[in-house]
Amino acid sequence: MNPILEVTDLTVRFGTLVAVNKVSMSAQRGHITSVIGPNGAGKSTLFNLVSGAIAPSAGQVVFDGKPVTGLTPNKMLAAGLARSFQITNLFFDLPVRENLRLAAQFLERGRGLFKPTSYSYLASQRVDELTERFQLGSKLDELAGALSHGEQRRLEIAVALATKPSMLLLDEPTQGMSHADTQETADMIRSLAKDSLSILLVEHDVDLVMNLSDHVIVMHQGQKLAEGTPEDVRGNPAVQAAYFGDAAHA
Amino acid sequence: MHKLTAVQTVLQNPIRWLAYLFFMLALLFALVAGIKGDVFFFRLATEALIFGGLALSVDLLLGRTGLLPLGQALFFGFGAYVSALVLKNGIPSFWLAMAAVLITSTVAGLVAGVIAIRAKGVYFALISFGLAQVVSKVVFNTRSLGASDGIIGVPVPQISFGFFSIDAASPGGFFMLVLLFIGLLYAGLAYLMDTPFGRQLAAIKANEHRVPFLGVDPWRYKLAAFVLAANVAALSGAFYPMLRGFVSPELMFFQVSGNAIINVIVGGTGTLIGALYGSAILTLLRSVIGSFTAHHQIVIGVIFMVSVVFFPKGLIGYLVEAIQRRRPKKKAL
Repeated sequence: MNPILEVTDLTVRFGTLVAVNKVSMSAQRGHITSVIGPNGAGKSTLFNLVSGAIAPSAGQVVFDGKPVTGLTPNKMLAAGLARSFQITNLFFDLPVRENLRLAAQFLERGRGLFKPTSYSYLASQRVDELTERFQLGSKLDELAGALSHGEQRRLEIAVALATKPSMLLLDEPTQGMSHADTQETADMIRSLAKDSLSILLVEHDVDLVMNLSDHVIVMHQGQKLAEGTPEDVRGNPAVQAAYFGDAAHA
Repeated sequence: MHKLTAVQTVLQNPIRWLAYLFFMLALLFALVAGIKGDVFFFRLATEALIFGGLALSVDLLLGRTGLLPLGQALFFGFGAYVSALVLKNGIPSFWLAMAAVLITSTVAGLVAGVIAIRAKGVYFALISFGLAQVVSKVVFNTRSLGASDGIIGVPVPQISFGFFSIDAASPGGFFMLVLLFIGLLYAGLAYLMDTPFGRQLAAIKANEHRVPFLGVDPWRYKLAAFVLAANVAALSGAFYPMLRGFVSPELMFFQVSGNAIINVIVGGTGTLIGALYGSAILTLLRSVIGSFTAHHQIVIGVIFMVSVVFFPKGLIGYLVEAIQRRRPKKKAL
């Protein structure tokens, strides 16, 4: 087994708080790996560490065989690691087409920076692909800020995908979605994995995670509590006590 | 049928046509003023264009990159001083002065940019303001730069184009030269805004935090925009001593930076051509109202407030919306 992402003893401290404490995990190529845990478990922080949004205090991140610990987000992306955001993070004042095009522009980095954008062949091709896949055709000329919540969440993933990453980090992609939209998103994530994209998913929705994932990591109070297949994790008494117990209280 | 297609072309890209209109109006003005043998309005219009170049540089930062430069006059005055020094103490060559301004303003822009771009939002605005204050005070107190008097008696250059030359003292000829240069600066910037480079600036303005996660380091783009804006402001400022025969530290003062921002906002932030419209209209107003009262800034201030409240997108923003509103009606014809 040759994991695409390997995290070793990753730690970050905010003052006296150890938000992520010596977490080690790995994600296999073409798999859907999920991180779950109750609120404050440190899963979003872990996510921010892996995507370069914040720098770790200690530990290592190896992506695709290369050390990427503490790299800035733009370098993480260049290494092939893209992410979406829990709180929709788009160019709201720009049209949907331009949101996609800006992201796809990465495919032509270093070339044609001072030529008209209509020359950017790869980028416009990528925009067409994503428009079709995410059914945004009728919305291309609307401002991203004018889309419905569900559409914005879809665009958020499309933008993250535009750079053709080898791994996609999805931060609560179904956040605030209706049941129908959640199912649609689940199908979409599954289809992405089928196209041999590796996915790391942080989710609140435990049922969704259990349904989708090849591998589940459970976090609790900044540490890894358990990991394994969805069945393993579901049957793990420590997880039931810590996570599902807490969830039942909440 | 033919007329309709013309209308449709204008509707598709109203800003471009408003830009053509600006330069056509400028040429029309030059024709009328030239026939009448006018001097005053030629020189006023030349000044409006020169300050229009400064406003262009402000719009590049404010309207296109999302940076508010409260001290952009620093580079305008810098270009004016370098130009005056080359013309007076070096060889009185227009091209040498422009080359010197381009090179030195790139260096100055890089140095100031590295300092200012570190800060975001209001802090960028304040650092830009502070840098201009510091440099203008230094110039104000430097005897070798003429201190508070500035540099006077700058010789008027002959601007050679090889097979013909223009005398900067000729009001019409110099107006046409400045119009050509400001037109080229405008066209270059307008072109640049539709390249991946320019679109990336718009992305930074729209949501800087998202940009790194698309593989781009926003810092480099902001620095490039800052240096480019310094070049545009300084090259525009380089014309000032050729028009007036002197430079003074006031060129770097906040009033000049503030007026440029007002010109941009009244003309239409982010449209580029609005910067030129705003400068032309307000320079004319300042001069006309100034001939009646010394308190013309009060009138300009009121115009600014009315514009911000009732036309928040400025003259060009308002016109573009008005033109686009006509679109469905025209299609129905």
